[in-house]
Amino acid sequence: MPIDNLYEPSPVANIALLQGTLDVLILKVLALQPMHGLGISRRIAQVTKGTFQVKPGSLFPALHRMEEAGWLAAEWGESESKRRAKFYRVTKAGVRKLKQETVEWRRISAAMAIALEIS
Amino acid sequence: MAPNLSGHGNRPGDLVGTSMRWLITIWRNLFHKRAVDQILDEELRSYRQLLEDEKIAAGADSQTAQREAAIELGGIEVIKEQVRDIRRGAFLEGFWTELRQSIRALRRNPGMTAMCVLMLALGIGASTIIFSVFEAALLRPLPFKDANRLVELAETQFDLGMDEQNLSEADFWDLHDGTKSFQSVGAYNRFQTNLTGDGEPEKISVTQVTLGFFPTLGVDPIVGRNFSAAEGDAKVAILGNKFWKSRYGADANILGRVLRLEGNGYTVVGVLPRGEPWIDDQVYVPYGYHPAADRGNREFAAVGRLKKGVTPEAARKELQSLAAAMRAANPKEDKGIGFNIFPSRRWIAPQETSTALRILLAAVGLLVLIACGNVANLLLARGLARRREIALRSALGAARARLVRFVMLESLLLSALGAVLALALAAAAVRGIRTMEIPGIPRLDEVSLNPWVLCFSCGVALFTGLLCGLAPALHTPLQGVAAALREGDRQTGASRRQGRVRAMLVSAEVALAFVLLVSTGLVLRSFQGLLKEHRGFQTARRLMFSLSYPDSYRQNGRGKALVDSFLEELSANPAVVSSGAVSSRPVEGPDNGMNIDAVTHSHVSGPPPWASWRVVTPGYLRTVGLPLLRGRNFNSTDKPVWDEPGQPMLSHRTVMFSAALARLLFPNEDPIGKHTILWKGQFNRDAEVVGVVGDSLERGLDHGPALTVYLPYGRVAVPSEFVVETRGDPKTVFPDVRALIQRLDRDLPIEDVRSFDEVISHSISPQRINSIVLTTFGGFALLLATFGIYGVLAYLVRRRTAEIGLRMALGASEWAILKMIVAQGILPALLGITIGGAIACWLSRYLKSLLFGVQPIDLLTYAAVSAVLLVTAAFACFIPGYRAMRTDPAIALRLE
Repeated sequence: MPIDNLYEPSPVANIALLQGTLDVLILKVLALQPMHGLGISRRIAQVTKGTFQVKPGSLFPALHRMEEAGWLAAEWGESESKRRAKFYRVTKAGVRKLKQETVEWRRISAAMAIALEIS
Repeated sequence: MAPNLSGHGNRPGDLVGTSMRWLITIWRNLFHKRAVDQILDEELRSYRQLLEDEKIAAGADSQTAQREAAIELGGIEVIKEQVRDIRRGAFLEGFWTELRQSIRALRRNPGMTAMCVLMLALGIGASTIIFSVFEAALLRPLPFKDANRLVELAETQFDLGMDEQNLSEADFWDLHDGTKSFQSVGAYNRFQTNLTGDGEPEKISVTQVTLGFFPTLGVDPIVGRNFSAAEGDAKVAILGNKFWKSRYGADANILGRVLRLEGNGYTVVGVLPRGEPWIDDQVYVPYGYHPAADRGNREFAAVGRLKKGVTPEAARKELQSLAAAMRAANPKEDKGIGFNIFPSRRWIAPQETSTALRILLAAVGLLVLIACGNVANLLLARGLARRREIALRSALGAARARLVRFVMLESLLLSALGAVLALALAAAAVRGIRTMEIPGIPRLDEVSLNPWVLCFSCGVALFTGLLCGLAPALHTPLQGVAAALREGDRQTGASRRQGRVRAMLVSAEVALAFVLLVSTGLVLRSFQGLLKEHRGFQTARRLMFSLSYPDSYRQNGRGKALVDSFLEELSANPAVVSSGAVSSRPVEGPDNGMNIDAVTHSHVSGPPPWASWRVVTPGYLRTVGLPLLRGRNFNSTDKPVWDEPGQPMLSHRTVMFSAALARLLFPNEDPIGKHTILWKGQFNRDAEVVGVVGDSLERGLDHGPALTVYLPYGRVAVPSEFVVETRGDPKTVFPDVRALIQRLDRDLPIEDVRSFDEVISHSISPQRINSIVLTTFGGFALLLATFGIYGVLAYLVRRRTAEIGLRMALGASEWAILKMIVAQGILPALLGITIGGAIACWLSRYLKSLLFGVQPIDLLTYAAVSAVLLVTAAFACFIPGYRAMRTDPAIALRLE
């Protein structure tokens, strides 16, 4: 699923779902270690085996929104290539959110799997 | 249940922290915008750096890496804009920025801004004024606690054709004691009496009320107290608020003052609060329970307060069984009676008032729409000039929604400014309206800009703001940004489309103006017709006033003696031509009537005709200018048709007829000497017709010639309305009249002093107000529509200067140019007239109740309105057309 169109006008019903997807992915990859924007984008591509290519136009709004929501915290640090970069990490609220979302996603994917198998 | 995917679940403990953080982020985003933006800037720069590093690590040279990184990152400004949009408070922030921009834009264009604000202020102001009257007269609840449980009670006697009449005293007490549906009931009976011995004598209206009356309404005096349970027939009084203010200057020490009513002293114990109905009479006195109460005379009106939870239907049912018991107990007086109840709400205003106010409200709505059309047109014209700016913004990443918001905000700002101006206007108008008295419109003195009216105004302002912005907003460029940037002001496909929109707006304006002008025309024609009606009376140089006779004047001929000596002495006054008296003032007095028929053989099928009767002195008919057509006038030998107690029965009664009545009862016959039956079916008095006078609009200008029978005055029939024909200005005679009356009886109040012209004028003041208001609206509508047409064409000509220059250079005549431009303006106007005509045909039937002597679809009015609109449109087209005609091709082409 191409995720770079997330914040383009799209059918309203899907927005919550897609937005939730990106949020969960970001929380998940950041749960392991703090990362900067490009790192997050690359890691998501990696863990989803290339299914999700998050472009900056989707990534930054999501990161800033989640930071404002208090799920992420950011600080400036140094990258592997000795560049100054803004590193994001998951807050306690973010961890809670991730757990909650994980449960939801499991339920949904289980439900979807059953539904799709039946038909 | 659908799973909560976005998962905004919070633990209760977090709530405070969350909302705190929420506020802090908004604060930071709004007020430390630069710092926040700087961080974003840096972050994006670093992202790009990291991308480049990645490419270089993958083996690209630095130039390729830079280029590829730039491509992958995409438009930095777009990303920034997206992040800004998602930030908390982004809406507010954008709002402030845009507001500032809008204000700047409006200030750059002061002429246009002033024009728009004025037009909107006119629309909003006019609608606020009309609505404030509408609200006070029709919408405001009654000034009573739980008014929805308050009902009016009435008696019915269907076999006599009475579906709503007053109660007799005894019936009221039966109901009072018998009913279980009501928490309480109260009755009242209004009468007129003279207040003397306390400054100027004055005829006042007094209401007798049972002790339950005020408690039923839930009204407590604002000064003093209510009548106590022991004061059934005590000589105490409560004053109405208006009377307290007008006669006693709102004296706070009024309690204990003694009022002399027909010689009896009443002690004031309280003052009522303001309000209508029921509590707006001048003086209230208590009326107690009397065991031997009268059952035959139905003189008491009654109100009741339903118990909580009792429906009107249940109460009605209970009252019917009560009525059945009363019918059985009093087979004679209560034959066929029943009860009915009416919600107190229905009091508020008569149907005509409600219709008239609704029509005015609709008219003002049209005016508002026309103003909106004009403002939209102006904004569109400017929007076109700003295409480049808007295109630039959209190229810089502004979302379309934001651009639309920007345009909308501007028109909302205009309407808000208009609303402020409108409220100032309305506040001044309301102050004026409160002092007016228009028959039929209640509570005018309570009109105010209260929260309801303010809400309405804000609603209208919001509506106009959105409506004005609609067309310009829909025309914010979407595609062709590059083209717009490149071509700037030049004519493009989009602007041609916009030209069509503007022409449509003009058509709509003209159509709305047409509807409004047709209403104006019809109402004006009605009013003119009303004024031109042949009145029969001569109204110029006539003074009118009434005397209020005390009860004692009915005895021993005292009243007649006073009238005789007064009229005689008055005739000696050199300024007086003639004088007379009548029992009911023409046009505005109450209308007394009777069934009447010819004695010999009736020419009338069905029930006998109903004629008004008026007791007149011999001089009256001459004084009001009614010509004697046949027979003779009354003289001193003619006696009243009523028998005088203690005197022998009259053997010969005489009456005079109005021409219409004579024609009806004695067609093709000489009525003189014929006999007639007065009060046929009731008293059946025989009388001889001795004279016939000209017809008159006795019952009001819109009622047609009245069937009137004139009765001679005398000791038992003393008319109290006087008419004096004078040589000069009638008012100058009044001091003499007053001096004369005071000499004859210093306690006799003189009331309602007016000239006959004023009486006539007052009687048609509702129609006059309608005409004035509608004419004002119509005038504004015409002005606005003219302005709209002019604006569109003037703009068009400016835009097409180069094209016109080219045409002229290629040999087009000036005349052809003028024709071309005028056609551009006239065509939408013609379309508007056609549409307006159709709408007016469809809508004007709702005007019917306001019209007099003219049909809703009156060809003359429609033709006149079409002509007026066409001429105005042509005029509005001519000026820009003339300018185009004078275009100098050389200059015009150079402009290109």
